[in-house]
Amino acid sequence: MAFVGRRLLHSIFVLWAVATILFLMFRLMPGNPLAAYISEALSAEQQNLIMQQFGLDRPLWEQYVIYFGNLVQGELGTSFHRREPVLSIVLSVLPNTIILTFCGLFIAYAFGILAGAYLAWHRGTWIEGVVVPIALATRAAPEFWLGMILLAVFAFWLGWFPSGGANSAGAMYAGELDRIFSRDFLLHLTLPALTIALYLQGLPLLLMRSTMIEAMHEEFVTMARMKGLSEWRIVIHHAARNSLLPVLTAFALAIGPNISANVVVETVFSWPGLGRLLVQAVSTSDYPLAQGAFFLIALVVIVMNLVADLLYGFLDPRVSHGR
Amino acid sequence: MTLISRRQTLFLGGAAALPLAGLGEAFGQGAGDPVRKIILYSDTQGAVPQSFQAAQLIAQAWRQLGLDVEVRPTARQQLSQVVWYERERWDATMWRMVGRPERSDPDELVFNLFHSSTAPRGFNFVGYKSPEYDRIAEQQRQAVDIEARKKLIREAQAIVSRDAPYAFLIHPKTLQAFNQQIWDAGSIVIQKGVGIRNFWTFVGAAPKGAQRTMIINSGTQLQAIHPLYIAGAPDSWVNELVWDRLVRVGPDGLPRPWAAESFTFVNDRTVDVTIRDGMTFHDGRPVTVDDVIFSFEAPMRTDKVPMFKPVVSDIEAIERTGERGLLFNLKQVNSAFATTALGRVFIAPKHVWEPHLKSVEGKPENIESIRDSANVGSGPFRQVRARLNEEIVLERFDKHWAAPKMDRLVVRIIPNAEAVIGMLRSGELNLLAEYGGDPEVLEALAKEVPAIKITQETDIGMEFLGFNNRRPPFSDPAFRAALSAAIDRDVLVQAAWNGFAVPSTSHVSPALPFWYAADLKPPASGVPAAREMLKSAGFTILGNRLHYPAGVKEALKPGD
Repeated sequence: MAFVGRRLLHSIFVLWAVATILFLMFRLMPGNPLAAYISEALSAEQQNLIMQQFGLDRPLWEQYVIYFGNLVQGELGTSFHRREPVLSIVLSVLPNTIILTFCGLFIAYAFGILAGAYLAWHRGTWIEGVVVPIALATRAAPEFWLGMILLAVFAFWLGWFPSGGANSAGAMYAGELDRIFSRDFLLHLTLPALTIALYLQGLPLLLMRSTMIEAMHEEFVTMARMKGLSEWRIVIHHAARNSLLPVLTAFALAIGPNISANVVVETVFSWPGLGRLLVQAVSTSDYPLAQGAFFLIALVVIVMNLVADLLYGFLDPRVSHGR
Repeated sequence: MTLISRRQTLFLGGAAALPLAGLGEAFGQGAGDPVRKIILYSDTQGAVPQSFQAAQLIAQAWRQLGLDVEVRPTARQQLSQVVWYERERWDATMWRMVGRPERSDPDELVFNLFHSSTAPRGFNFVGYKSPEYDRIAEQQRQAVDIEARKKLIREAQAIVSRDAPYAFLIHPKTLQAFNQQIWDAGSIVIQKGVGIRNFWTFVGAAPKGAQRTMIINSGTQLQAIHPLYIAGAPDSWVNELVWDRLVRVGPDGLPRPWAAESFTFVNDRTVDVTIRDGMTFHDGRPVTVDDVIFSFEAPMRTDKVPMFKPVVSDIEAIERTGERGLLFNLKQVNSAFATTALGRVFIAPKHVWEPHLKSVEGKPENIESIRDSANVGSGPFRQVRARLNEEIVLERFDKHWAAPKMDRLVVRIIPNAEAVIGMLRSGELNLLAEYGGDPEVLEALAKEVPAIKITQETDIGMEFLGFNNRRPPFSDPAFRAALSAAIDRDVLVQAAWNGFAVPSTSHVSPALPFWYAADLKPPASGVPAAREMLKSAGFTILGNRLHYPAGVKEALKPGD
């Protein structure tokens, strides 16, 4: 229990540090948010008014206090350009991003785990000699290139899938749930999710394979063989289960970075998600939106780290956290 | 051993003395300091590859004049910061003026770009100051006789062509396309200087078959759909459809009555307007003269509508003259008033926006901070759904007197320029509103799929190189003219714009044939001619470096 408490405090401290760095980072960046507003309409007085509106005329420490005070209350501020609360903007794109990220990750890890286990089982065969380089190659290939290839083949050439967006043009639904579970959405989701999956599967595949190879040499596996259990049972019930732990930890840790890293996939497939929103916010110096979005992502990463830490101790009784 | 004869010595000595004599000649003429390294700002290659490429070619040409040039690709934000907010600090920059229907009247560019009043903070960021030009710019605004005004506009072009505050480069050709199996090609309108993506196409396009929804693309997401704020280009396309205007710019580039049944200049400073009968807003309420007056007075009387304040700055007062009549009294003659004011202000429903305006009174916010989810207007389309980073869905407003032929219009946000090609082919898009990719790919698509028809239109806008007229050597018009002459615009068109551009001589585009001075040619062009021009201006090239005229010192360091 003390361990959990300590980790929690630690996470809160990291969150505070991240929030502070975010605040400073944007304000120290070159470029003036007003530069995105250039129009003959802005006289000197109006520019000053805008600065006032955004609180940019106040001293840095005052801005920080206001920022932090708001943050603690869950108030992420108002976007400079969209003039809407940051939270509502981010929440509007969050379902799309979360679904895309999780689908991609699930496919990648499900495939990676199964394939890794299979490869470990068939160690030394030609299959391994072919699949491992392919896995490495997909990991090394740039994500946008993978995306463009899938787009070109499956959307443009074969016409099996749509070329972009999260839904067909003008499609109307009764509600968010209806939209997410519609066939239309699923069709649009397939290619971007496959791209992410293709890109990410290298890690779980190779990790699972190497962990399993180790596990296959463990004494309990030898014991199981001596007991006369079938090879299948040994691989799945004994070796694979034990090898899953590092892979699951990797999964938990992968969620955070991938939520925002999908900007490339989002651009290739015109997927309306958080990554694109972030890039736009940064390039137009929309401080509140960029800060708010980054902060939420940091929150997810820190929470998932905490979960991974606790999960590991829970799943594997052998692991102790020191007393 | 041969003795060198006296003659040989004299000869050798003479030969040795020649370069020294040359130097002596130079000192005798008195060349000034060498010109410092010039920093030429451009967009980054990823953002605007044409501008980047053009900057490289221009720098090459200038190096042949003995200038040391550094091209500095800069992200848009930082570029705007330097060029706009630090006006003393840069030498030269690539820049562009976007073409819009409102710029079909040359007044906006002719006045705002070069009148000295907009030099400190406005669009005259190059700091060009010419009393001669100021006079012409002011006079053309007040010339009610169109032929007299045409002469003045022509003179304005001649002055800037001579003085070269910019090196005018090109007017781009907008490349667009549409599916002619879905849309009757005869109903797609090409607006001068704008292309097929215009109000008249959206209202007039006739579907041929079952597909009655027009799906267009935008490369960037929208920031706001708002009658009192234009947040960006795709935002303006939607605003124009949801809210009406008294006057609209027609496909020929001239203003025509729209929500106004008629508008007449009673005298130079008074415009009599009668609004159409029977117009309603999307919520069923009637459109009245009060709504129109409110829409103009909100920017006039308050500081809360900054986007439209300059547009209405010439209006002294508006009088209601009847149930459908109003009178605009102007402070001074403004010959472009119909296009630049009546053709720009949107008719916002007073019953919706007056409370919004009151809500920002006394606070630092202005009307641009208000977001109305219903977006009630009186335009030919009504808003069904707006997901600003994904898609906007508009549907036909049946009660409009010029209701569109299509059922719906969908604007899809597609940041991937190459994907639009595949989408045109598959029918996910049926009108290509903007295209930033390789023109050859689009042409190949059109060849392969006969349903796709490509259109090209020379833009009202232009790409140019701005000189900082405030600081030497760019404060010297002859120097600027020479540097402008050294640029081979034909090479730029082919190499940087793939042939999709026309060379530019001034700020008025050939897309406006009535105003464009077609006979205006720059005095000379090419590097040798430029060298001559520099020489006549007193500059000299010594040892491959360009030097100021005699006695002139280089006062600045590169990057100052």
